[in-house]
Amino acid sequence: MTADLVRRTVALCRDLRGRGMMVTTAHAIDAIRALRCVGLESRERVYLALRCVLVARPEEVEIFDDAFAMALAPSSAPEGSTRVFRRSPPRDPAAVSSLRSWGEQGSESDEQGEPEPVPAASDMPAVVQKDFSIFGADELADIQRIASRIARRLAARPSRRWAPDRRGRRIDLRRTMRRALAEPLDLRFRRRKPRKTRIVAICDVSGSMDLYSQFLLQFLYALQGTVARVESFVFSTVLRRVTAVLRQPDYAWVLRGLSAEVHDWSGGTRIGESLAAFNQEWGKLVDRRTVVVILSDGWDTGDPSLLGAEMELLQRRSRRVVWLNPLLGSVDYQPLTQGMQVALPHVSVFAPAHNLAALRALERHLLS
Amino acid sequence: MDRIAQLLEQLDREAYVADPAIATSLHLALELHKPLLIEGHAGVGKTEIAKVLARLLATDLIRLQCYEGLDANTALYEWNYARQLLHIRLQERDGHAPAEAEAKIFSEPFLLKRPLLQAIAHEGRPPVLLVDEIDRSDEEFEAFLLEVLSDFQVTVPELGTIRARERPHVILTSNRSRELSDALRRRCLYLFIDHPPFEKELMIVRRKVPGASEDLAAQIVALVQRLRRAKLAKLPGVSETLDWAEALVVLHAAHLTPELVGETLGCLVKDEADLRKVRADIEAGRLPLGAA
Repeated sequence: MTADLVRRTVALCRDLRGRGMMVTTAHAIDAIRALRCVGLESRERVYLALRCVLVARPEEVEIFDDAFAMALAPSSAPEGSTRVFRRSPPRDPAAVSSLRSWGEQGSESDEQGEPEPVPAASDMPAVVQKDFSIFGADELADIQRIASRIARRLAARPSRRWAPDRRGRRIDLRRTMRRALAEPLDLRFRRRKPRKTRIVAICDVSGSMDLYSQFLLQFLYALQGTVARVESFVFSTVLRRVTAVLRQPDYAWVLRGLSAEVHDWSGGTRIGESLAAFNQEWGKLVDRRTVVVILSDGWDTGDPSLLGAEMELLQRRSRRVVWLNPLLGSVDYQPLTQGMQVALPHVSVFAPAHNLAALRALERHLLS
Repeated sequence: MDRIAQLLEQLDREAYVADPAIATSLHLALELHKPLLIEGHAGVGKTEIAKVLARLLATDLIRLQCYEGLDANTALYEWNYARQLLHIRLQERDGHAPAEAEAKIFSEPFLLKRPLLQAIAHEGRPPVLLVDEIDRSDEEFEAFLLEVLSDFQVTVPELGTIRARERPHVILTSNRSRELSDALRRRCLYLFIDHPPFEKELMIVRRKVPGASEDLAAQIVALVQRLRRAKLAKLPGVSETLDWAEALVVLHAAHLTPELVGETLGCLVKDEADLRKVRADIEAGRLPLGAA
């Protein structure tokens, strides 16, 4: 094994890391061990071996192929360079700024309505009842934190582990046996928390729905892994899965990731086609235990019969379809848009999601 | 002959139509002693790889089928409570002291080994441990499994620590119904198996369903490949292709006709809405039948 090869492998790993793949030092060591196993005579083998070690999901194959081709090119990137490649085409600056103002409390404020001081550590009625859209840009981060706290409180429930219980429904044989040594057949019982809910959220991020969707996603994200298994999607004209993006631990990263993933943040709406894309590609995520949550105002620019058919499919496959329409929060709203009209027959719960109180009220629709 | 070419040949002898990517991944998993995570659509032969691997290593296959709610007790070990209880009763009748019974009933003969412990305590050649459909288990179980896979030892409080003499060969499969944790992915080698291209699938049908004529097999595969490009909710996998081919052979079909396809479509398309759609396509003559 030549020193040059080791250096090239390490450079490839570094390049992959720069392109956003999760490649650690342990991977680099494995990669070199793998090359030792398969030899260097065949380019195909070298490629397959490195791919097997360094790639961890199908989406990464394309990135890997590109980096691999560059690493093998005779005069590849200069030694030690940390070139960062962008996976996605250049983004629409307006789309990015809409996100930035959400996360970084945009300096040029696009405040609407009358801003109110937000209490930092409680969810007082005034705050809880106020529509998200009338908070000032500088308050959104605080509100976001409160929403997450509410979600975490909902999530603070007994664990899924078995626990001894006097009135449990299953006999705890292990404990019974321990007791039986002293006093036979004094039955011990155990119980278990019900299964985790599966939630699939499909959120409209076009126009005015953008803000509400961000709140809902963040809210659901706080439930992730505790009481529910959450898969998140966003759409306006096309559908994007954002589950992995939301999972990144660092909040700022989450935002940057979202703007990179969703090119059409704040564009037009194609609900029917987006749901069709979901059913087609991700339909297997939905089963009889899954609650499907759709957030949209129902302004569909596509074919209404398509929306109806896809809604019917969703309803048939899932446990429940919850349609959240933030406009329901205003007293005089009537769901008269054509999209809403064809969707409603297939919806089991129609609710607003326009403020903290509405988010909190979601609990019984999501977790029951 | 080198090991990868040899593996390809061995896989072929076991009637598994493999490709260099599969052989290379298996070779590395064996050489680097790392678990191999295999992802791909349902029915592309993920589970089959583990079975074939066990056969060609002439060792045992231990299978852990995952499902939601699978817990450590079911995967690792449990005490044989019925037997323990019986033993206590007998001891009591014979007037033995409880302490004596306790030492006895928490010993190996009263232990029920579940797949993970079976793989760890396995005697002889290291077995192949198949953790099937890991994506169906919960995150908690995944974390637990990670622990077991990293040191292959288990502590039973009443018995002490049991350590694997040699690491089992571990194969995990996933249908991607849920995203697996980065920690698990990091620990594994990775192989993605896509639906096979026409020639490979034709070869699989010819190998596995020798009763189908060359013509019929080609027509079957052409139609299946076409259906995979259609917008169906559940795409047919290779196992569906094989089921269907077998059904057609049983019906003595020499080539596909709309009637025959209509009668046997249930082998291939398993979602009611899909079925309606494909039927309509056949009636309208939009799918390739007969002359492939």
